[in-house]
Amino acid sequence: MLCACSGEQFKFEDAPQSPESLATRDFSASGLSSRTGDWESKLEDDQVGEAESTLKEALSLNYEEARALLGRLEYQRGNFDAALQVFQGIDIKSLTPRMTMAIVERTRQRKPRSKGDIIPPTVMSMHSVSLLLEAILLKAKSLKELGHIREAAKECKLILDVVEAALHNGMHEGIAEDCKLQEMFHKALELLPNLWIEVGCLDEAITAYRRALVKPWNLDPQRLASVQKDLAATLLYGGVETSLPPHLHVWGSTTPNSNIEEAILILLVLMQKVAYGEIKWDAEIMDHLTFALSVTEQFELLAEHGEQASPGIYERAERWYFLALCYAAAGQNEVALNLLKKVSGLSETKREPHVLALLFGAYISSQDPKHAHHGITFARNVIDLVDEVNGHFKGEAHKFLGICYGNAARISISDSERALFQKESLTSLNYAALNMKEDPEVMFNLSLENAVQRNLDVAFDNAMKYSSMVAENSGRGWKLLALILSANERFKDAETILEFALDEASRTDQLELLRLQAVLQIAQERPKQAIETYRTLLSLVQAQREAQSSNSVHAKSSDTENVAERKMEMVAWQDLATIYSKFGSWPDAEICLDKAKSIEFYSPKSWHTTGLLFEAQSLYKEALVSFSISLSIEPDYVPSIVSTAALLRQFGGQSLPVARSFLMNALRLDPTNHDAWMNLGLIAKMEGSLQLAADFFQAAYELMLSAPVEAFT
Amino acid sequence: MSSSATSCIQTLSSILSAVPSSVSSSSNPSFSLLHDPTVSAEISSLLRHPDSGSGDNNLCRWLYDTFYSTDPELKLVVLRYVPIIAGVYLTRIALRKSLAGFEAILLALYAHETTARDGQPVSVNVPDLSQPSIYHDAKGSVKNKTTELNLAVISPTLEPHGTMRSSRRARIVGVALELYYTKISQMPARSKVEFCEFCDIWAAGVKNERRIPLPWELLQPSLRILGHCLLGSHNSKELFEAASSATVSLYRRSLHDIDAKAILATGSLLRLEKMASDPKLSVDHTEIDMSNVLSL
Repeated sequence: MLCACSGEQFKFEDAPQSPESLATRDFSASGLSSRTGDWESKLEDDQVGEAESTLKEALSLNYEEARALLGRLEYQRGNFDAALQVFQGIDIKSLTPRMTMAIVERTRQRKPRSKGDIIPPTVMSMHSVSLLLEAILLKAKSLKELGHIREAAKECKLILDVVEAALHNGMHEGIAEDCKLQEMFHKALELLPNLWIEVGCLDEAITAYRRALVKPWNLDPQRLASVQKDLAATLLYGGVETSLPPHLHVWGSTTPNSNIEEAILILLVLMQKVAYGEIKWDAEIMDHLTFALSVTEQFELLAEHGEQASPGIYERAERWYFLALCYAAAGQNEVALNLLKKVSGLSETKREPHVLALLFGAYISSQDPKHAHHGITFARNVIDLVDEVNGHFKGEAHKFLGICYGNAARISISDSERALFQKESLTSLNYAALNMKEDPEVMFNLSLENAVQRNLDVAFDNAMKYSSMVAENSGRGWKLLALILSANERFKDAETILEFALDEASRTDQLELLRLQAVLQIAQERPKQAIETYRTLLSLVQAQREAQSSNSVHAKSSDTENVAERKMEMVAWQDLATIYSKFGSWPDAEICLDKAKSIEFYSPKSWHTTGLLFEAQSLYKEALVSFSISLSIEPDYVPSIVSTAALLRQFGGQSLPVARSFLMNALRLDPTNHDAWMNLGLIAKMEGSLQLAADFFQAAYELMLSAPVEAFT
Repeated sequence: MSSSATSCIQTLSSILSAVPSSVSSSSNPSFSLLHDPTVSAEISSLLRHPDSGSGDNNLCRWLYDTFYSTDPELKLVVLRYVPIIAGVYLTRIALRKSLAGFEAILLALYAHETTARDGQPVSVNVPDLSQPSIYHDAKGSVKNKTTELNLAVISPTLEPHGTMRSSRRARIVGVALELYYTKISQMPARSKVEFCEFCDIWAAGVKNERRIPLPWELLQPSLRILGHCLLGSHNSKELFEAASSATVSLYRRSLHDIDAKAILATGSLLRLEKMASDPKLSVDHTEIDMSNVLSL
């Protein structure tokens, strides 16, 4: 018997084992063969009619339901043409209002029935409604199989329209539990967007997805999440901007304004569901989110989600590597480095080493001298691990090793250690240069290291090679070249290079190059020109500031650019103060220093320059105080150490040993500081050790000859 | 037929060997011009010619003039060639040839965007889940109504540039790519394939030649276009394969440069590509359950 509302499959009293029994009983007369292989793909209309009437009698169905059943049979057998024909016989248009009303009547929340509250018999049963909805769904699927996708989509939409018209606010739980209405509806919800995607109408697909998601339709959490994920992907990669319809703009500021915003919202919602255990982890969601947040540069947010993943989702080292990438991308190198140190830590000794993570650690370490020793460890680990197949990684590791050794030499406190590190640095960099001939970074660092070690000719050659290797963005290449030339006293050549570089430079590079130009002019005793150059520099900074403040939206150029600009501005004021104090224009010098201090009060150089200004005015006590302030800000600020020593030297007598210890300290930090050597010589002379003094003066002279106008690093 | 389209096609006929009559006498000439394979093939080939980018090149002139026509459909025709123009341009910088023709087109595209954006950056509001939205209810109590906007800038404010400089090059080409992306759904598949092929070249370089620098301003719009080619465009196997290859190349390049942002973005695309090409992983929820077949 037909089970009207149980939703169970139809059971027959005889429980026939095969379709043959009923068919042979009733259909053979009309020539319908029951054997599947003999079904004609097109049934004759009168044959269908016969079948219908028989079924109707047997099962007390009405016309449409009979067709629906038949159609389903054809569909299940793969005879899509036949199924379609059957379904097309159902006049769905006239039925839809009745279906909607049926749903409304029968799903109303049950109140205690009063006597008069009976549902009129003309209202369809829920079973009938589900049957018809299934028929429409199968019709859509048949159309899809036959390649008529747009028509399939129309049919699918019909299902949604019927149900949504009845249930404006979505489905609550427990609705129509006992029939297949919900299931059919859910299938239609999921099918419709897929159809639109297949035919390339992405904006229709997006509308269909949204329709499934903005009201509660009782989809189980995993299926709902799947639809959300598909919508997010379509929004993110579809390339079609489909704005939200006005009736969904009710959420004010949280309404997404663009597809990518909407995609990010959905992905974050999905990740929250994962975090709360409502759905299981899905790597695809995380990858979509990674892409979306990378493109929008929201790396800290990405790191947060990486951290929220439960243990076991990622291998430990992989997780640390991922997080390190996020934090480094967000500019937090310290955090990234801490994570990467764990990768080479004790907990990972038994596991496969993560070469990429170690290499990344070496790279980050190479960017800051204080991480030099960590960098050396990372780089050595990579070198030990990598076989010849991954020769490229080996070359990279040697490059970072060389840079880190160079940095280590600079922060070293022992002469012998420093000499060793410098030697290692050149060895590693030369190895890297041999292995990675096309890598400009290696060439630049090789040049720099040679320059610092005063191998000026080699440095020059390397710098020229570097500049020829990069078509542009070689602002730092030009700067290094100019500095090397200045160390060789080839000032004219250095100026030529700077002029060429200034033409092509980016904004930040321009400021640095202008400053270098001014310093060169000072070195060639052309202070007026230098002052003009500084003026140009400062007006550039001013112009940029004005351009930015006239921007209505508060979207600035990158923070690093702004910081670099402010720093150059301060440096310009400091240099101007130095020039003015040399020429006795004390008030001008003071004005410049005040400007410098207004940008950054705690700058050791500003206080050092103040000290020099006082010294020029013979105000020695005030000068000493200023130098002390400079050293209290940065105890290793060599110029102030040397200037303090110079002052103390002038007091003579008991101050001399103190001055000497200051100078030895300065030389520990910067062995090539010719001022320090010079002062040592003067002290030795004052104490009567003339030979020693001569040696010191010799050292000072030689260093001065090969000194660049400004430190290489 | 709009007169601008007619005169445009007429001029083109003097540059190309032949413009098919299906284009010149079409009822929608701009559309035909955009999609006709013969015309595209010849224009692409001419653009790759060794001297194609010079200031007096008449194809560049035609592209420039066409972009400035009043018919928006004709602008699409020019955009279709952005991948080739950008690709060939960037690969030839090192050769120190005259590229004034290409630069004029790229600057025109940049100027168009500068005007269209009217001094505003393109930004995205990163949502705060503590406020409910159309897709979720806020967990816990809803805090005060006013939330600070967390604005992520996808494309900073454009400064007007009349000339090409090496320091601006990446940004100008990047903006041309951004413009291309806004119209990508209307671009023919062949154009997108060309883009993917150029990604391969940019990433790997040609043997013995130095690699093209790939700063973020160039990479970010490229990644969005690539994401679309890989995962958003469902109907072309050729495109998917070209995009897969480009993804692998860019991922390797990002590892080589140790560029964290690029590693994250290309790595995610690579993993998504693997999942997309693995048929085992796709599940169709809409399939009717065949286990309960009706027995009559």
